Amino acid sequence: MMPGSTKNEAMVSLVLNIRDGDSHASFSLEAEPHRTVLDLLERLRAGGGVVPAYRHSCHHGSCGTCGAIINGLEALMCLTTAGDLASARPRLPGGPAVEPETDGQGAVVVTLEPLARMDVISGIAVVPGRVFAGIPGEAVYLAAVENAGRSPLPADPEGARAEGGCKPDAAVWRPAGRVRFEACIECGLCVSACPVAVPFIGPAALAAVNREREKRPETAAAMLALAAAPDGVGPCGRHLACSRVCPQAVYPGKHIQMLRNALGAAARHAAGMSAD
Amino acid sequence: MFDPTIPTRHPGRVCIIGGGGTGAALAYDLALRGFSVTLLEKGELTSGTTGRHHGQLHSGARYAVGDRAIARECMEETLVLRRIVPDAIEYNGGVFAALSDDEADYAPAFIEACQEAGIPAREVPVAEACSWEPALNPAATRTVWVPDGSFDAFRLPLSFFAAAKRLGAEIRPFAEAVGVEASGGHVRAVLVRQAGSIRDERIECDYVVSATGAWAGVVGKLAGLDVPVTPAPGTMVAVRGRVSDMVISRLAPPGDGDIIVSQRGLSIIGTTQRIVDNPDGILPVDEDVAFMLARADELAPGFSSRAVHAVWAAARPLAGRTSGDGRNISRDFMVLDHAPEGVAGMATLIGGKATVLRAMAEKAADHVCRALGVLEPCRTRDFVLPSWRDWYAEVLP
Repeated sequence: MMPGSTKNEAMVSLVLNIRDGDSHASFSLEAEPHRTVLDLLERLRAGGGVVPAYRHSCHHGSCGTCGAIINGLEALMCLTTAGDLASARPRLPGGPAVEPETDGQGAVVVTLEPLARMDVISGIAVVPGRVFAGIPGEAVYLAAVENAGRSPLPADPEGARAEGGCKPDAAVWRPAGRVRFEACIECGLCVSACPVAVPFIGPAALAAVNREREKRPETAAAMLALAAAPDGVGPCGRHLACSRVCPQAVYPGKHIQMLRNALGAAARHAAGMSAD
Repeated sequence: MFDPTIPTRHPGRVCIIGGGGTGAALAYDLALRGFSVTLLEKGELTSGTTGRHHGQLHSGARYAVGDRAIARECMEETLVLRRIVPDAIEYNGGVFAALSDDEADYAPAFIEACQEAGIPAREVPVAEACSWEPALNPAATRTVWVPDGSFDAFRLPLSFFAAAKRLGAEIRPFAEAVGVEASGGHVRAVLVRQAGSIRDERIECDYVVSATGAWAGVVGKLAGLDVPVTPAPGTMVAVRGRVSDMVISRLAPPGDGDIIVSQRGLSIIGTTQRIVDNPDGILPVDEDVAFMLARADELAPGFSSRAVHAVWAAARPLAGRTSGDGRNISRDFMVLDHAPEGVAGMATLIGGKATVLRAMAEKAADHVCRALGVLEPCRTRDFVLPSWRDWYAEVLP
């Protein structure tokens, strides 16, 4: 449920249970259906409540900091509304949607847990180091945008060119023409949801590896080597939890499959060469 | 490869309060000048105003008519940022479009002001602008190209934090300054409480800079100061999909709902402006949403037919006080030294805008150098910053 039609909305009664060490801090509140979980935490904190620590920055699903396990399912708190929580929702990635649990007074019970596989700083705030550990240091975050029938962007005139001053780093590569950021916001929901229990660089890193290979063919051999390593695509059990929780439609499972396909093609090519 | 050398280590210990964009750039600047730096942020880094910015990298065109100096500074800083944090910037340029006779009449003064400020704005035929971005309203009567862009409001400052940390600065998120200790009219220490802890910790320092933006009034009170800052929140609305790659703005004096910034997979219409007393817990104003979508439709017809992705608000830190909506307050910044109020060794950065975060830090670091008797030039223009991913990579055990 999103804002825009905010008139005469029935308020949603919620009980928020927020993980705080060995226990939970609980808050009862009424919320407009379009308010997000993050809005509610901010409102509680501004009202003087001692709210367990949580991460947040952009409030619109771009920074990737406010991931949490919300009633069993990894999600961004800034994009999950009170109305969402009052509706049927899966309790685990890929699970069936089930009606919300309510307490004796009919309030929807919402439990916030920190993302899994990450060190907890305090409350539900985590250090997402594991998300970033496997992303290649040289992976470029900008991607080219097609002109798609539009005229190419005009060249910068004198006075608007960014050359000069410090020398551009040779490692800083950028596409020509129109650019945009990668869709992946490195939120780590996929890393938290992935059930693989052996050493594995994880779905976010493998998606970045495949994107880098697609964008910059000169890196393909190095990227495929990362994918072929013991902690590369091998441990993936195709559970697809990563793709199900991805808030950005990156679908890491698809990238992992593309890497497998590319590795298979390379192996067949090598076998064909040796057969000759 | 980010590997600057630090010519001289200075004994001065500087404590920065506030982990937004300005604090990030200041921690980096001071660390690069050889100071021992500790930065305290009560929540996650950039969780106040910085991260909620709509992401426009201002060429300065928006401000040129009103204030050439601010516009010139924006232009200079966009060029610096495009060099030193290229991976956190979608640089696609921008278009200002006139949609009324008044706006068309504004074009000559607008272009002249831009050029006086060093911004190479140029009028282009409407058909040409529409060929770059067909989403632009074809009823526009005049269009002007400007070197605007957009940046990732979280990742760009985080690159500054990563750089500061590489140089030895201690950056502490979830560490709230709860007291400023002074004796003999001089600041001696900051008391800090780490999230989840019940004990306060004392950080001795020789200088304190409050880079707390809209929270500067709250933090000033810790030292018994009355800091003139007006938190001025604005509502923003993001819809799914990119209506354009270029930033699209209204060819008119700055107002509400007159900028569309596309970034990653979203298009954002910004913004409104109100003033509040308390910058905490600011939520978007529901009535603003329909207004903003209607304004966006004027610039890019069909904008409002896209699915709304998020609605949020951020508090600008306007320097000074006002009883109006705050648009009469300049977006300039200043370093406020508190020695005349009897608190030596402390300054507050007030005002400013995200695009000029590095310049704000430079002025504040110059001020710290003067106060501590150090001659060390600013070098933050000189190095390409490490990736924001470095910030996380290095905190792994």
